[in-house]
Amino acid sequence: MDITKVSLKELRKALDDKEISAAELAEEYIGRIKTADAEVESYITVTEEQAKIAAEQAQKLIDDNKAQPLTGIPLAIKDNICTDGIRTTCASKMLENFVPPYNATVIEKLNGQGYVLLGKTSMDEFAMGGSTQTAAFSKTKNPYDTGRVPGGSSGGSAAAVSAGLAPAALGSDTGGSIRQPSSFCGVTGLKPTYGRVSRYGLIAFASSLDQIGPIANSAEDCGILLNAVAGRDEHDATSAGVPVEDFNAKIGQSIKGMKIALPREFFGDSTDDEVKQAVTAAAKEYEKLGAELVDCSMSSLKYAVAAYYLISGAEAASNLSRFDGIKYGLRGEGRSFDEMIRDSRSRGFGAEVKRRILLGNYALSSGYYDAYYRKALALKQQIIKEYNDIYAQADVILTPTAPTVAYRIGEQETDPVKMYLADICTVTVNIASLPAISLPCGYNADGMPIGMSLVGKRFDEATLIQTADAYQRNFTVMPNKFRA
Amino acid sequence: MKLYPTIGLEIHAELMTESKVFCTCSAKFGGEPNSRCCPVCSGLPGTLPVLNSKAVEYIIKAGYIMNCEISRFTKWDRKNYFYPDLPKAYQISQMPRPVCLGGYVDIESEGKTKRMRINRIHLEEDAGKLVHENRISLADYNRCGIPLIEIVTEPDFHSAADVTAFFEKIRLMLQYAGVCDGRLEQGSMRCDVNISLAPEGSDTLGTRTEVKNLNSLRAIQRAVEYEIYRQTELIENGERVIQETLHFNDATGETSSLRSKEDAHDYRYFPDPDIPPIIFTEEELAAIKADIPEMPQQRYERYTKEYGISGADAAVLINTKAVSDFFEAAVKAYDNPKPIATFITVELMRRINLGEVDAENIPFAPENFARLVELAETGKISKDNRKMILRDMTASGGTPDEIAEREQLWIKEDSELTEKTVDEILAANPKAVEQYRNGETKVFGFLMGQCNRALKGSASPAAIKRVLEEKLK
Amino acid sequence: MDIKTIDHLCELSKLNFTDDEKQKVMEEMSAIIELMDTVKEIDLTYDDTKDNNSITYSEVRKDAAKPSYPTDRLLSNTEPQDNCYVVPKMVE
Repeated sequence: MDITKVSLKELRKALDDKEISAAELAEEYIGRIKTADAEVESYITVTEEQAKIAAEQAQKLIDDNKAQPLTGIPLAIKDNICTDGIRTTCASKMLENFVPPYNATVIEKLNGQGYVLLGKTSMDEFAMGGSTQTAAFSKTKNPYDTGRVPGGSSGGSAAAVSAGLAPAALGSDTGGSIRQPSSFCGVTGLKPTYGRVSRYGLIAFASSLDQIGPIANSAEDCGILLNAVAGRDEHDATSAGVPVEDFNAKIGQSIKGMKIALPREFFGDSTDDEVKQAVTAAAKEYEKLGAELVDCSMSSLKYAVAAYYLISGAEAASNLSRFDGIKYGLRGEGRSFDEMIRDSRSRGFGAEVKRRILLGNYALSSGYYDAYYRKALALKQQIIKEYNDIYAQADVILTPTAPTVAYRIGEQETDPVKMYLADICTVTVNIASLPAISLPCGYNADGMPIGMSLVGKRFDEATLIQTADAYQRNFTVMPNKFRA
Repeated sequence: MKLYPTIGLEIHAELMTESKVFCTCSAKFGGEPNSRCCPVCSGLPGTLPVLNSKAVEYIIKAGYIMNCEISRFTKWDRKNYFYPDLPKAYQISQMPRPVCLGGYVDIESEGKTKRMRINRIHLEEDAGKLVHENRISLADYNRCGIPLIEIVTEPDFHSAADVTAFFEKIRLMLQYAGVCDGRLEQGSMRCDVNISLAPEGSDTLGTRTEVKNLNSLRAIQRAVEYEIYRQTELIENGERVIQETLHFNDATGETSSLRSKEDAHDYRYFPDPDIPPIIFTEEELAAIKADIPEMPQQRYERYTKEYGISGADAAVLINTKAVSDFFEAAVKAYDNPKPIATFITVELMRRINLGEVDAENIPFAPENFARLVELAETGKISKDNRKMILRDMTASGGTPDEIAEREQLWIKEDSELTEKTVDEILAANPKAVEQYRNGETKVFGFLMGQCNRALKGSASPAAIKRVLEEKLK
Repeated sequence: MDIKTIDHLCELSKLNFTDDEKQKVMEEMSAIIELMDTVKEIDLTYDDTKDNNSITYSEVRKDAAKPSYPTDRLLSNTEPQDNCYVVPKMVE
């Protein structure tokens, strides 16, 4: 069995049928990581020893016929999700040696199923960026072209899945950090509705926008992961009490009559033609499947990037204030508290993180609050309203995931404004707390994947998975060299 | 030019919840350093605050007893500043949408009833504790996350007496509401005082200073008096009062400047995205309001009007909640409030004031105390023996009945013994007998006393009187 | 965006920059703020009562204390003294 070519369902069957043991499966992945990850650099920490132990425990469950969907399934976890006893760095010098004494709720849930942790994947530092090149270490490469970025911030998770170094992974998405790297690396990534998955144990970037979600080879695999990690959590007051259905329940149901909206502004000048063409072609595919395309507009999109950076910057500035070197993290030097924490923070944080903190404090500071932060909150309400207007006449929204395919390392991630503008297609989804899934819909002339995003109504992930799956059944993935 | 002080207060009171306000650690006072902590209140990355509904209930009760408007929509904000007792580097507090707005409390001060207005009351978390050593400070986060309410008044105060009367009244009310234990020695209540002086009749206020963290009534009084004195001196000498935050030194009785550099704080308040705003229904608020226990003023009315207790005695009873509660329990056991009240105000309070008995931990049950009063009232023991039995109860923990039995203090009404004793006393005091028979009836008291002492309480005064009158005829 | 503003933001953020870095940061921040300034064009007012994230009082956690966390685990990422976090002395 070529483990890189099978779905999670097939892996489940192989494990349950004893075609492969959990230990063998984990070993195969660890072996692949050892071979390929020197080039891809998707992992920060590989947990070989823990994987062996977890695989043995999982095997017992399988042998006792107590297997759950993820029992014995190896997974990669983004390195901003706390794992008890296992280094969790946020790809930052600040947390290079931080070992959390507790598990994130999603990890508790995965442990409850007996999953096997392969390792912690790289990311932009503190999830701030779209290239994984702001990481202080393991600057991940795109498996389709290692001279290009994998996207970000969950670039490590997306690249690991793309290169076949994990069958699926968890990432986090604050302004596109699951979807955009999924798009760049040619895999499927789902950003759930805000509140669908507990944030407890996710090292916060922007608390009102952050959401943990799956990155996998298909919408169906994403659904299996989401089934495992979703649900109300008493440790997260923003987690929703909305009952968790089977997110894959609608897979296979016809999408005939479904209304798919295409907001004009997402197909404007800032989006590359090859991307527009691929997404438009996918829309036509949906039409063929019986869906109805609806033209629509989102007039405040042009303000969305600014609103997003103001809100996320403000929250980040506050969230990252706790890193002072006293309780954990890089401890600087200084004779006074003030000197010491300044030294800790100046040495611990990278340039992009510092920019976000400065921006956030600017937006919140006395005299600027109303003009920036408060205005951003007003825009948030406006964007929600515009989405509601679209959903009054459509079931799902289709947009490009990113204006371009993955770009070359060094090409634009050094220009902050250019980088920020590249988030245009994804940020409104977080601002409006909506679920969205990115899936590959084509490849450009260089063979780089192009991604499209389906955006759903709140808590309607099942329809997104159904809709994405309907497309994926007829789409052929072009494997990269690591899986060929 | 007479200078007139204007004073406003910010009072912090810790709430008596079981768990902390944003995590499930115990909210009890003290403990080994960092033993009442968890990843949430220690500010570990990735952790999230989860609000405690009891803390919300308590602040609503505090709002109602201070006549505040309760917001139907309330939310929490982050107050951002760096300090090592604040592990997240922000304090969760409330800015534009506090739970309680407006309100007032009437106080008695300088012989007048004065209405002090409340601006707002909001809910927030306490910070940790720092212990300073030679070259380092040590941070203990046990207190991090203890729920606090901050009561912000209008600048309606004009003297130290106003301030202390208000503080005491608030403290008592919060205790009666079951919201705050009011233990000042444990830092359960702290007061920040804003003071400015201006010429009497002036429309504008002077420059104000803020004296922070006063945690006893005496410190509040001294700090206010000192600050009025200090500012008066400055102004009268033609100097300027600087707007600053001050610390009151208990040892010297003076105020001194705190971190003037950081006075220019910009706290960058913004809504805490981790805590959803709350909407209250009218039913929920009504249920909380109905659950507020009787306030001291209501108890005072009941004691004086229903029980016929004097105003002075009623005031003594209500001014210590533990004593008032003890009285309530005693009355439940023996429905005769007046003698119970008298015995408390005369005897129990004396022992409390002497420091022999701790009001918060009265060493005998109110039922036993009630029984003691009942024994005396029903003539089972003499009133004089009550004190002795009470002392014994304090020391031995015994019940009044056990002690009366052990010490043979029962009034026996043994007429033979009484007659015999009276005869002996009369025989031993022929002069007094003669005086009485000659019309000097006031010696009767003397003879009564002699008999009483000889009988050691085993006969009731009424019985002795009857026999004595008979024999003296 | 001038050096004075950057200095103020550094104070709020507890960050140090060398003079050269500061110049670069100032240029970058100027460009970023220019992008942020687009929000000033739009005429909207924020009403916090219209947000859709509020919950009812009945959904708020019930008050019950649970055992705390082992102190040594909480302090496992620092070098404590007497089970406390160590900071430079806070009072002169």
